[in-house]
Amino acid sequence: MSFIDRALAILRKDLQAEWRTKERLSPMVFFALLVLLIFNFSFELGGAALREIGPGVLWSSYVFASLLGLGRSFADERENDALDALLLAPGDHGAIYLGKMVGNLVFLLAIELLSLPFFALFFNLSLGFFLMPLLAVFVLGSACLASVGTLFAAMSNNMRLRELLLPLLLLPMILPALISCVAATKVVLANGHFTELLPHMQILGVYTVVFTVLSLMLFEYAIEE
Amino acid sequence: MRSALVSYVLFAAMLIALAAVFLWVPTEKEMGIIQRIFYFHVPSAMSAFLAFFLVFIGSIQYLRTREEKWDRLAFSAAELGVMFGLIVLITGPLWAKPAWGVYWRWEPRLTSMLITFTIYVAYLMVRDYGAQASQAPRLGAVMGILAFANVPLVYYAVDLWSADQQLHPPRNVGLEPKMEYAKWICYATFFLLLFHLVAQRMELARIESAVVRLRQKLDDA
Amino acid sequence: MDEDGEIVLIDAAKRFGAYTALHPTNLVISRGQAVLLVGANGAGKSTLLRLVAGLSRPSDGEVHINGHDLQDAPEARSAIGLLSHQTLLYDELTARENLRFFARLYGLDNVQKRLDEALAKARLGDRQHHRVSSFSRGMKQRLALARATLHRPSILLLDEPFTGLDVGSGTALREFLHLFRGNGGTCILVTHRLDEADGIVDRLLVLERGHLRLDQALSGDLNQLYAHCAHYMDSAL
Repeated sequence: MSFIDRALAILRKDLQAEWRTKERLSPMVFFALLVLLIFNFSFELGGAALREIGPGVLWSSYVFASLLGLGRSFADERENDALDALLLAPGDHGAIYLGKMVGNLVFLLAIELLSLPFFALFFNLSLGFFLMPLLAVFVLGSACLASVGTLFAAMSNNMRLRELLLPLLLLPMILPALISCVAATKVVLANGHFTELLPHMQILGVYTVVFTVLSLMLFEYAIEE
Repeated sequence: MRSALVSYVLFAAMLIALAAVFLWVPTEKEMGIIQRIFYFHVPSAMSAFLAFFLVFIGSIQYLRTREEKWDRLAFSAAELGVMFGLIVLITGPLWAKPAWGVYWRWEPRLTSMLITFTIYVAYLMVRDYGAQASQAPRLGAVMGILAFANVPLVYYAVDLWSADQQLHPPRNVGLEPKMEYAKWICYATFFLLLFHLVAQRMELARIESAVVRLRQKLDDA
Repeated sequence: MDEDGEIVLIDAAKRFGAYTALHPTNLVISRGQAVLLVGANGAGKSTLLRLVAGLSRPSDGEVHINGHDLQDAPEARSAIGLLSHQTLLYDELTARENLRFFARLYGLDNVQKRLDEALAKARLGDRQHHRVSSFSRGMKQRLALARATLHRPSILLLDEPFTGLDVGSGTALREFLHLFRGNGGTCILVTHRLDEADGIVDRLLVLERGHLRLDQALSGDLNQLYAHCAHYMDSAL
């Protein structure tokens, strides 16, 4: 009955439920593509401007799509008061956070990877070469989003104006991560050197660690009654 | 009464500071008179960060002790921090236009201040609009801890992003003695102002919650 | 354990902001007792139950389960099972998947065997691979009971469990509670349906506006029960 076992149980349950319904994944991917369309018609996305703006557009869509998805982190638990069942189980409630956070990380990564081909298509990028480093940026970026996003989702669970406030809370807080994700993606797509990429990845890494640890410690307070 | 004494001391300090800035300190040779904004701009920034640190302390102590006074400290300091932040963001462009030619540049210090400002505005929104009255202190405390943890990250990320845009002078540029004194006088005055306003705000909040409790007792009876 | 099934409240209170849902309360419920908790809406019944379950953190005082303070020993919650008018189930998962999840959450061993037994007892064996969303109210409640008792708790907390149940399901629940009591289990039952509680409970607690007004042993006379409660309850009776 260890902490990790319980977190894993929650992770498996969420992935299983999502695989069955795909009710978070599909809308989120679609939304990411819609945002891309909006950006396309809002800015002149052609030629040289593409290289400059591309990473920004990519991450903007991901961030907006993640706002949809993170807000649903505890949606299954809101039905039938299932959250009570999770909280009743013995042991540190941080396991709930960890399971949900990794689940969100997986969802976000899935959305990023599923919408990537479309971005590559519209931006005329040949990605094969960049795939590995890009994947690394995606993983760290998603971890940053998932770390604070899951905690805020828990906080906003009982809040009035939940849908309105989650973006207001999340967007300012993830700005450092967003800045570094965009910068890192730019370096990767420009085929930059590893030493150029490292400082950005370090920030993403530190952000993930700091906010995951803090969230684990604060989750009990966020979710308590 | 203690707070009356503090008000008088503060008033005197502000007069001294104003005199120092406008009458005593020499005019800076490159930027001219406009440079005097420095004596308000920089202490405001320092006060804002001091206030955010108080939010952090108040939040941690509230979660540990659940005593209301720590929650009052947290959100009072947040309100004042946002106010001082606003002063920085207003005096910044006012200074920038004559000094650098543009109202705004996305350079590290201003950008970091702007982001930090929005984080604490979000904190206040959570408390005012999001949480029910019974939950606001607890959720605010969680937010207060996360917000402060983010401050250094904001600075590093923005610095990395736009280091080339840096328009502010480096931190330890030497100042003429009179300017140094004036700077410290202003720091002291602003910090005193911060503490006094936070204390006043906390007292106001204490009275507000006492009134609510009395009303509740009347309803119950 | 000698203290198995013992619930102790020491000056436990719960406030939501300026509103006091439960005033400081002292209470001892010993092993094997079955308590009926009644009160008007807003009296604090659910609040008390949630404090005992460890779902709610007391604003003051302490709640002890089997000698452990719930705030300090989150492991002590393993002795508690909760059955509510909500099912606490995941509609999109099957019955078996739901139970398997809870088995993992509680770190139970012999999972397959336990699931088979629990599903059989709940008479859901043939529907175990169907999603809960397709179940009737009675079936959901049977599954909820299976969920609540999967980890063999010594304390059962029931918050309006008879709500929406047909006569047959209600009877089945009563039979289960008799069995549970027979095995030495402790329970706290919150219900408006005093007739359903008759014969199961041996102690009456009445809450009014967050105060514990009455704490009385019961002799089994239903009319006496009604007489005690009528004074404190609203027309919901």
